[in-house]
Amino acid sequence: MKVEGEREFRAPRATVWEVLNDPSRMAKAMPGVESFDVQDDKHWRAHVKIPLGLGGLRMSVDFEKTEQREPEFAKLHAKGNGVGAIMNMDTSFHLSEAGSGTHMKWEAEVHVLGPVASMGQRVLQPIVNQQVSSVLNALDQQVQEASALSHPN
Amino acid sequence: MTETVAPPRPVVVEEGKPTKGWIGENVPRKEDKRLLQGEGVFFDDIKRHEMGYVHFVRSPYAHARIKSVDVSKALELQGVYGTLTGDEVAILTDPFFELSVPPGAHMKDYALAVGKVRHAGEPVAAVVASTRELARDAAELIEVEYEPLEPLVDARRAQDEGAPILHDEAGSNIVWDGTFDWGDFEGAVAEADQVVRIKELHFDRFSSTPLECSGCLVEYNRGTGQWTMYCNHQMPGVGAIWMAPALRVGLDKLRFVTQDIGGAFGNKICLHPYFVACCLLARKLNRAIQWTEWRTDQHTANAHGNERWFQDVEVPVKADGTLLGFKVKAIDDCGAFPRYEPLGCIIWAQVTPGCYRWRNIRVDFTQVTTNKSPVSPNRGYSRMQHLWLTERIIDIVAKELGLDPVEVRKKNYVKHDEFPYETPNGCIYDSGDYARCLDIALELVGYDRLEERRQDAKSRGKLLGFGIGSTLDSGTNNFGQSMILNPELQFSGNNEVATVKLDIFGEIVVTLGTVPQGQGHETTAAQVVADILGCSPDDVNVRPGHDTYWNSHAGFSGTYASQFAVTGLGAVKGATDMLAGEMRKLASVVFGCSPDDIELTEGQARIKGNPEAALPFMALGAILNANNAGLPEDLDVTLNCRYVYRPPFEKPDVERKYGNLTLTYATQIHTCIVEVDPETGVYEIVDYAAVDDCGKRIHPQIVEGQVHGATAQALGAATHESFTYDGDGNLLTPNFYDYHVPHALDMPPMKNGSIESESPFTPLGAKGMGEGGGAGIHAVCAALQDATGKLVTSSCNPYHRVWQLLHSGAGEVEVTNR
Repeated sequence: MKVEGEREFRAPRATVWEVLNDPSRMAKAMPGVESFDVQDDKHWRAHVKIPLGLGGLRMSVDFEKTEQREPEFAKLHAKGNGVGAIMNMDTSFHLSEAGSGTHMKWEAEVHVLGPVASMGQRVLQPIVNQQVSSVLNALDQQVQEASALSHPN
Repeated sequence: MTETVAPPRPVVVEEGKPTKGWIGENVPRKEDKRLLQGEGVFFDDIKRHEMGYVHFVRSPYAHARIKSVDVSKALELQGVYGTLTGDEVAILTDPFFELSVPPGAHMKDYALAVGKVRHAGEPVAAVVASTRELARDAAELIEVEYEPLEPLVDARRAQDEGAPILHDEAGSNIVWDGTFDWGDFEGAVAEADQVVRIKELHFDRFSSTPLECSGCLVEYNRGTGQWTMYCNHQMPGVGAIWMAPALRVGLDKLRFVTQDIGGAFGNKICLHPYFVACCLLARKLNRAIQWTEWRTDQHTANAHGNERWFQDVEVPVKADGTLLGFKVKAIDDCGAFPRYEPLGCIIWAQVTPGCYRWRNIRVDFTQVTTNKSPVSPNRGYSRMQHLWLTERIIDIVAKELGLDPVEVRKKNYVKHDEFPYETPNGCIYDSGDYARCLDIALELVGYDRLEERRQDAKSRGKLLGFGIGSTLDSGTNNFGQSMILNPELQFSGNNEVATVKLDIFGEIVVTLGTVPQGQGHETTAAQVVADILGCSPDDVNVRPGHDTYWNSHAGFSGTYASQFAVTGLGAVKGATDMLAGEMRKLASVVFGCSPDDIELTEGQARIKGNPEAALPFMALGAILNANNAGLPEDLDVTLNCRYVYRPPFEKPDVERKYGNLTLTYATQIHTCIVEVDPETGVYEIVDYAAVDDCGKRIHPQIVEGQVHGATAQALGAATHESFTYDGDGNLLTPNFYDYHVPHALDMPPMKNGSIESESPFTPLGAKGMGEGGGAGIHAVCAALQDATGKLVTSSCNPYHRVWQLLHSGAGEVEVTNR
């Protein structure tokens, strides 16, 4: 399943880059994160609970930053393991300056395996869309907070 | 509408008219009382003290190497009794034997995945716990590390250079391949006025759904080294042949017990991997254990029907509409493991020409493995796919050449006076009247008013379409056909066993070698016995179910391949004839007359013409069993008779791929009328008729039940049921939400007709008829083609596919004038 989109942030590119590359800030942007461990600057692990069915789907997700060209491009690989599902995701983003703000173009290729995948896109697509929307809104929030810290007035 | 056709002159039998004897009567089914009162005993009803429940850990990957399996966390959970992994299985068992020649012969298949997984849902480990729910929870604690591999989900790519190889030992994805060439195809092309070429047709993956999922309760007797499996395996004889060598024990160490089975359409033939895992666990844990398959697992990883591609079809046709033959390249997708395969590579040849007289046929057949669920002989096994092809050819040729589908069929059908008819590959069609069946089917749907109905539908904005499906249900296998695939296999012929005895109180007791799953064997066997012994079916006690320890059985015993009415009842008839002879002999000794003077009637053995001189059956039973002093020493009577019925088969000619592969051929001619909404592709079957000819019907109501059930499964396969995989090998239709099996409300108003063309080759004139649903799949395809005017190339056409069809091009077909 491929998802992609674009987003404008009212913050300089350096600020957006900083947020996107700070695992602790990203953890706050991801919904359902129950714990987050940073192993090194390229590897971190999150325990997440995805709202799927009764009780949610708990998954342990390993992130690896596989490529980066500061301040414009980064690529991440994520592999998640949960009961009834295995998730593989390759995601990347491009940042470009847009006036005083930043334009982000992003895409993600998500492969879900196991019984959860068998539910088909009918179920998964809306969940992915909801998650993406939630991440982007939270990201916006994080960028605003970072921007406020960098420029208090 | 029912007729009896007894060559050469058809005799019309009025519905409801009493027949002579019990055969042909709709007597109440013996099984129904316990089933309707909820007193049937299915394997899951059986429990044991302190038994454990099994749950299988299944692969989320379609194709991956197994790097590690860690069961330690599961074993720490209170209430977990133990686990089983692929590494243990590899040590404790041998791979199941393969039926194919190389490369298929080199494929290794174990009870659990060893080293690699080859389809999503493949069992990787098993855990046993004190409750079913706990076992399921514990399974989630088993950690399996995989290294994903590229999956192969399209059988057409299986032979490509660089395609993923499923079985490294085989070095190829090919299970079996070969060419079947009968007649003179090039000569037929030379003789033809036109040649029709069809690029590609696809028979979808589906499976006939049983109400009851698979399973077993297994006990291990450490003293005798014997396993008892209370289960729903539908072919225990063959199951034991697979399991015993794998477990390194003799066949008699495996006891299969069944009573009631909630349907088995071939998907309960290949249960041996699960049963071996359960046997290992029962022995390892010294505890009775039970495995009850979850429905999603049944859909995902039990057994599908074979998916098949037909490519580069060529059909030479004469100007007068005579079809001379066809050529096709068939690619069969058997999923991850061959198991019952490659038998499907020959089973289709039982009906090589379908219902038609064409004599020049060439089939280039290849069967391959893919990263999908394994298949097993699904109802209509392998013939259904091939007959769909022959019917598609007829309707595509008719469409392209502007021929009437009814007339082109009647012109090319095997004629009533040509039976017994030898097909190009040596099969003998025993009897039938296809054109008569078609006439009845046409009449039932009011074919003469078709144009009027078409106009009416048009006025309502709907497209009306009409279609025919003509199929044969070939019954009673000659297992010799397996030698055509692998000459090393020492299988040929067929056999079935029954015992009939008269007990001390005059009870008539029958045991069967077969394994009934709802077909009413107890009832029909009693009808046959009652007719021979001159009593009521109520006086005949047919033991329900099957127990390999106590029911007499043979190498090919079981319930499969449309044969009980021939082999099962043939054995019952043989055993009862023997018992009747012994009863007459015993009575003749008592009366001091010739056995020929004794008749069996009204529950008595009596001297013909002298009703006063009569011995009730009870007296005969008592004399032999309990009061036998003074009987002549040479009186050769036991009143306990066993008979093995063997159909009259020869071994086929392996070189020519030629011979009689089955004994009987029941006919199904279905007609269907659909109305399609051109805006949405949604369609409705507005009229439907099924006409069946299975020779002498022992119990017409049971026959009609089979026709209804098979038709429902066919309509499901034609309209919605498709096991669809994504590119990663995920099954996207693993449950009843996405895999829609027809409900009663989905069924069209169905009209039934029948004729009876008695088989000249069977003991009772009957034919097997349980697998005749294929006609329905084609009738719907043909009706959709008629309605949309577009070439229908898939067997399953849900609404979205019909919508795509309406918006597609003409389809890839080409006509060459010669």
